[in-house]
Amino acid sequence: MKFKKAISLLMSALVATTLFAGCSKSSENNTPAQTEKKQVKITVLNSKGEIQTQLEEMAKAFMSENQEITVEVIPAPTGQSPFEKVSSLYSSGNAPTLSMLDPGDVVKFKDKVADLSSEKWVNDSFDRSLDAAKVDGKVIGFPFTVEGYGFIYNKEVLDKVYGGNFDASTIKTQNDLEEMFKKIEASGMGSIIVSPMDWSLGGHFLPLSYATQSKSSDEVNKFLEDLKAGKVDLAQNKQFKGLMATLDIMKKHNISKNSPLSGTYENGPEALATKKAAVWFMGNWAWPQIHELDPENNSYAFLPVPISNDANDYGNSEIPVGVTKYFILDKEQNTEEQQAAAKKFLEWIVYSKTGQDYVVNKANIIPAFKNVTVEPQDPLAKSIKNYMSQGKTLQFMVTLPSDHWSKNGASMQKFLDNKIDVNGLAKEIQEYWKSVK
Amino acid sequence: MKEEKRFIDKLKTYLLYAGPTTFIFFTVIILPFLFGIYLTFTSWDGISNSHNLVGFSNYIEAFKDMKFLSSFGLTLKYVLYTVILTNIIAFLFAYILTSGMKGQNFFRAGFFTPNLIGGIILGFIWQFIFSRLLVYIGNNFNIPIFSSSWLADPVKAFWTLVIVSVWQNSGYMMVIYVAGFMNVPKDLLEAASIDGANAWRRMINIIVPMMIPSITICLFLTLQRGFMVYDVNLALTKGGPFKSTELISMYVYNQAFLSQKYGVGQAQAFVLFLVVALVTVIQVYFSKKMEVEA
Repeated sequence: MKFKKAISLLMSALVATTLFAGCSKSSENNTPAQTEKKQVKITVLNSKGEIQTQLEEMAKAFMSENQEITVEVIPAPTGQSPFEKVSSLYSSGNAPTLSMLDPGDVVKFKDKVADLSSEKWVNDSFDRSLDAAKVDGKVIGFPFTVEGYGFIYNKEVLDKVYGGNFDASTIKTQNDLEEMFKKIEASGMGSIIVSPMDWSLGGHFLPLSYATQSKSSDEVNKFLEDLKAGKVDLAQNKQFKGLMATLDIMKKHNISKNSPLSGTYENGPEALATKKAAVWFMGNWAWPQIHELDPENNSYAFLPVPISNDANDYGNSEIPVGVTKYFILDKEQNTEEQQAAAKKFLEWIVYSKTGQDYVVNKANIIPAFKNVTVEPQDPLAKSIKNYMSQGKTLQFMVTLPSDHWSKNGASMQKFLDNKIDVNGLAKEIQEYWKSVK
Repeated sequence: MKEEKRFIDKLKTYLLYAGPTTFIFFTVIILPFLFGIYLTFTSWDGISNSHNLVGFSNYIEAFKDMKFLSSFGLTLKYVLYTVILTNIIAFLFAYILTSGMKGQNFFRAGFFTPNLIGGIILGFIWQFIFSRLLVYIGNNFNIPIFSSSWLADPVKAFWTLVIVSVWQNSGYMMVIYVAGFMNVPKDLLEAASIDGANAWRRMINIIVPMMIPSITICLFLTLQRGFMVYDVNLALTKGGPFKSTELISMYVYNQAFLSQKYGVGQAQAFVLFLVVALVTVIQVYFSKKMEVEA
């Protein structure tokens, strides 16, 4: 009997110790490698799914130049907001060293990220490209990509339609646009494809109506404040009404107007490449997909989205351009060595020849730094640089509330599917803004 | 004194056998659950290092949220259809596949297979079927109902969810019903046929009462799965078109992580938990009452 007791006690003790042994082991696991071989491993969370392979190759190139650093690129699932992914990684204690975030989310991590103000690249970045990454005068984000959007058009097709040389600067008003659509259709082709994704309609198209309110970003911010306070009557707002009138024109000529909501992102490049449509509302991030399907054609470029019939109105010859992804550097769950390695990686992206080459030519990214002189190969990036050099840019509304694209995207889809009219849409958007805190 | 000793002995045995499980259960289920309830009383945004206590305001906001309520209504509708359809189809399959037909084992395995594929992958497969394959067939053979994607229409998109869920779950329920059918005592059935009961009589008066335990389990599983569905919803419709098929799990998740209203989302999740617990407990209680002894 006594023996049995002893056995059972022993067993319970054993069970208990194995349990706790399990706990202590995992905490040790975090830091062995670097103390032994001085090998540092950093993780980079990529939230631009379309450049995952390019980033991995870039990391490999960096590693071959810096043997002591291992870079692991982990993808955030497309369609999930990077904020969700990063916050869940933080709560599980696995925060990536560098996380690629949407601009609006950067400041939310201000308690957890390192101060980057003294980094060399801060002085070489374009004016205002650090705006969304500044908290209390400190820079906490690394501007990774500059992006822009508008109507992507296939110049090859339009040249043919216009009998020679198509000049994009002649399309300045809604009438011009509709005229152009009609001309394309008269030649027996489809004119435009409107992709029904909520992030495109709610996150890119609708914000044009905010950005065109004024040239001054303070005025635009004030407009958003007024929206929150419920002081704006969108249905009477000139820019909003104008933008939706443009959408009406797009709806009328949409090649998938019989079932406007059934399309997917992939249908866009497909329609362009197969010449079912000549125009697509999207941004320069779509270049890899277009290029894959239409590898011979390098004549794509951007047209602005006109919002009125007065060629001089702000927004009729400008396209929105801005920094759309920032890297943040974690200081809570990564060691000093990892942080230093990450800083080195960022510097490598900006200043090394290989880094610049990978960013500009392989990943087709427009960098936010003045010192990078590598000219982009991709025609959409070129087109954006063109607009930038002429100063014809609008504010890319990147710091809208995190659920703005999703909630208003749904309302925009209803409008696209003719379930509500422009007044109903205005009402729903106003309701949304009132619910924002 | 003796009592006490016995208690210690019992505790030791308990710890030996169930200690690890209890420990794990507490750390991964009970503690997060309690912490989650605590979070419903705070204004945490999901990431910052500090948060304030806000009392019941999250719950008030949760119930004022009309979209939460309408999403709940949609989920109830979805649960109603999936529970009824899944169980009827599974029951019929099980009945046919225990009647001794040729190749019944092959069919059993076949109907069970969809259950082995994850909901996300199923969702993508069916998304392709609904938005490409059926549209292609519909356009080429002039079948108006398939000529445009079902996923682009709010009502049809809801039915795609029901169809896929029923397709996925009925195989699993069928297996449980098959086990139920096999456990109905043969002598009872024989006695009944000697007494002149036809197939329908035997079904109503003998088979169904003897199968109440299986029905209890299947109803419970389908109810619970119906309320909790997320993967199929995400992969098939993503809540679209225009959030018309956003079922409750997805709504709550978006509220917490997308809109970053962690407290409100958590409060809504807790309300959902209470409702599901209540519904399933009532269902199990009543169907237990209907069980009979042979």
